[in-house]
Amino acid sequence: MFLRLVADSFTRRPRRKVLTAAALALGMAVVTAALSVSLDVGDRLASEFRSLGANLLVTPQGDSLPLEIGGVDYRPVNSGAYLPEADLPKIKTVFWHNNIIAFTPSLELQVGALPLASQKWIDKVSLIGTWADHTVRLPDGGKFQTGIAKTSPWWQIDGRWFSDDARECVVGTAFARKNYVKVGDFISLATGMVTKIPSPMKVTGILSSGGPEDESILVPLSSAQSLAGKPGQYRKLLVSALTKPEDDFARRDPKTMKQDEFERWSCSPYVSSIAYSIAQVLPGTDVRVIRRVAEGEGTILTRVRALLWMVTLAALLAAALAVGASSAASVIERRTEIGLMKALGAGSSTVGFLLAAEQLLLAFVGGGIGYSLGIILARLVGQKIFGVAPAPSLLVLVAVLALAAGVTLLGSAIPLRRASRYEPAPILRGE
Amino acid sequence: MPAHSTQNRQMYWRIVRRLLGSNRGRVFVILLALGAGAAVTAALLNLQVDARRRITSEFRAFGANVIIGPRDGSQSQGVNQTIEESVLRRAEMIDSSQLLASGFLYVVINVAVDHTREPGMNSSWAPAVIAGYSNKNFLSLLPSRAIESTEPTGWDMPNCFAGSAVATRLHIHAGDSLTVSTVTKYEEPDPTIESQCYVQAIENFGSAEDNQIFINAEVVQRLMKLPGRFSVVEVSVPGTPSQIDAYVLRLKQAIPDADVHPLRQFTEGEAKIYNRISGLLTTTVVIVLLLTGLCVMAAMTNVAMERKNDVGLMKAIGGATRRVLRLFMMEAALLGLAGGVIGAGVGIFLSIWLGKQVFGVAAQPRLIVYPVAVALTVIVAILSAYPLRRLASVRPASVFRGEA
Repeated sequence: MFLRLVADSFTRRPRRKVLTAAALALGMAVVTAALSVSLDVGDRLASEFRSLGANLLVTPQGDSLPLEIGGVDYRPVNSGAYLPEADLPKIKTVFWHNNIIAFTPSLELQVGALPLASQKWIDKVSLIGTWADHTVRLPDGGKFQTGIAKTSPWWQIDGRWFSDDARECVVGTAFARKNYVKVGDFISLATGMVTKIPSPMKVTGILSSGGPEDESILVPLSSAQSLAGKPGQYRKLLVSALTKPEDDFARRDPKTMKQDEFERWSCSPYVSSIAYSIAQVLPGTDVRVIRRVAEGEGTILTRVRALLWMVTLAALLAAALAVGASSAASVIERRTEIGLMKALGAGSSTVGFLLAAEQLLLAFVGGGIGYSLGIILARLVGQKIFGVAPAPSLLVLVAVLALAAGVTLLGSAIPLRRASRYEPAPILRGE
Repeated sequence: MPAHSTQNRQMYWRIVRRLLGSNRGRVFVILLALGAGAAVTAALLNLQVDARRRITSEFRAFGANVIIGPRDGSQSQGVNQTIEESVLRRAEMIDSSQLLASGFLYVVINVAVDHTREPGMNSSWAPAVIAGYSNKNFLSLLPSRAIESTEPTGWDMPNCFAGSAVATRLHIHAGDSLTVSTVTKYEEPDPTIESQCYVQAIENFGSAEDNQIFINAEVVQRLMKLPGRFSVVEVSVPGTPSQIDAYVLRLKQAIPDADVHPLRQFTEGEAKIYNRISGLLTTTVVIVLLLTGLCVMAAMTNVAMERKNDVGLMKAIGGATRRVLRLFMMEAALLGLAGGVIGAGVGIFLSIWLGKQVFGVAAQPRLIVYPVAVALTVIVAILSAYPLRRLASVRPASVFRGEA
């Protein structure tokens, strides 16, 4: 009988039920879309922030104090410490290896350069050996593609990058302009006293970085290592990692943490905990957070995320009120029906149950439709803005259905409470 | 007929009044839904305008984004690779309230530490990079985190800041005093070759600045005999990507004798991130507003459909369909107005509060948002009463029989 009453109520006035369900579905679609976008935005924006380049800098611990001005190191040649290139694949074995999206070692030295076109030696040219697009073989047998184009994504190259195993190089735009070097030219590079002209390197591209690299020549790391006489070694490592914005907890010194706090700290991808885990696998290194990149990222991410949560909250509030109002109205409207049921001997609780069952059914149908609609919208937003659609989350579905049920029940509860006080007779008389 | 029409109008308003007053519960429910919609509309519109501006000021956290350096080969010998002080003044003149700029003079100089914490340590001379700064707020241009800091000294000694790497290497702590000198031996203090400073803080930059000691530029200029010269001027230019481009252009025009170049790492990164954030915010807000509007409309239509009996009754006693409809439209418009006025007011306060929560600064209310939100609410309310038009075909008798 109970089920029949519920079913009857739906078939008798389908249009009204459709309207209530539509209000519910639209409201829940807002909530779903806003929730999905908010949940996803942290990850999406974090990878967007990697267009600022590396956020971690690894240098040798025992290094002498660099006397570096404008990208030129004034230390005597061969002073300072180096790090072994062979250790690099270990970076991808740290706990947060999936968050490390790129790393690039580099070795800088001063060389003499001889463009073959001009046949004139240029002294004290800053030479940077690095990886353009390098395949790293990982200890687990996998491969990892990384290079300078990923750790410094704003660098523009006119031409192409050198191949890591060829005798090729890329010259900075200022150097090229000053010395009339073009793509396709050849340059010989040498250190110390030159007895015979070394075999030349082909210029494959002109680099514009907006920094001191514009004055330099960039060559494959292996070429720089042989020029410096430091085979298999590098001096500076840039790491680009996806991080979680730092909060007060992340700023604490890990040395002062208790065991459980330390575990929580190292299990969050804070930039400081990633730095810590890299220092663990690369002994003898100093891993520093590039504050300029990391600090701004943290505050902006936190702000944007908070902003979207506020939007979500506002959407939630409006949807809840509108849906609540709609279900309240649908109960108010049925006063005559309630009066009739009570006149026929139904108790307040039976009437309440009946209406609640109806509302719940509506809530689940409307909530379900709204969820699908919201997911489609969230996908559209994600696709349009980040090129990646947020994955539909079960958590959102549960939250949305719970909210729909809660709001409809709450919305109908207030008029129902009043309805339970009704005397059937005056209602049936239409008073 | 004037008396008749006055009477008519009186009757019209009387019916509207009665319609509004007849069921308090329903009016309350309608106002709640419309008000919520209006509040969210006003809050989001207000917040959206404000947030985009705030986000650009958050980009200040990245520090300087424009560097002014010497032009290649334009300097005479001796003052090679430096620029004049006037460059800084000309840069600041462009928009002194918005731009943050500081000149820096970099030199390699000898440093000795007078340890106050480790009395056993011998101070010995070591070469280090000294950066002379001209603006006390230079740390805003070079984002960092203080590792150690003390109160600035009240003595007649300039304050200085040490980078974390140089501090570790030379065992410098906050509160120490440093002697910087162009020579490594001296008999008695000579202000032309040496100067002392008080280490106010140890800063961690995570970049080349970690190897530098920051002292007031005048001290460095005096020691190096480079009065009024800087190595570079760093400028932090605020605003949206196009505003930054415009500033860079104006800087280039104002300072033709030096090399003005944006730090592409930050200007391009900022532009990318700004466009993403602003796109995200706009789309989300548009979707939320659209769906909320539709949701409120569906809810209101649901409420309006309940007036079937009233429509039937009015038609039964001879009301023309159009006049009856006008009554209900007026009711809806009045409710929309009331809901909008209350809701939009609440929404503006909501956005002020939300702005404070997110950015720490209250969002400035934009007055244009208020009438827009109210108008939108009235439109939504009228549109949601519109389906009553379908009731024009209602046959009064069947309504009263409880059919349909």
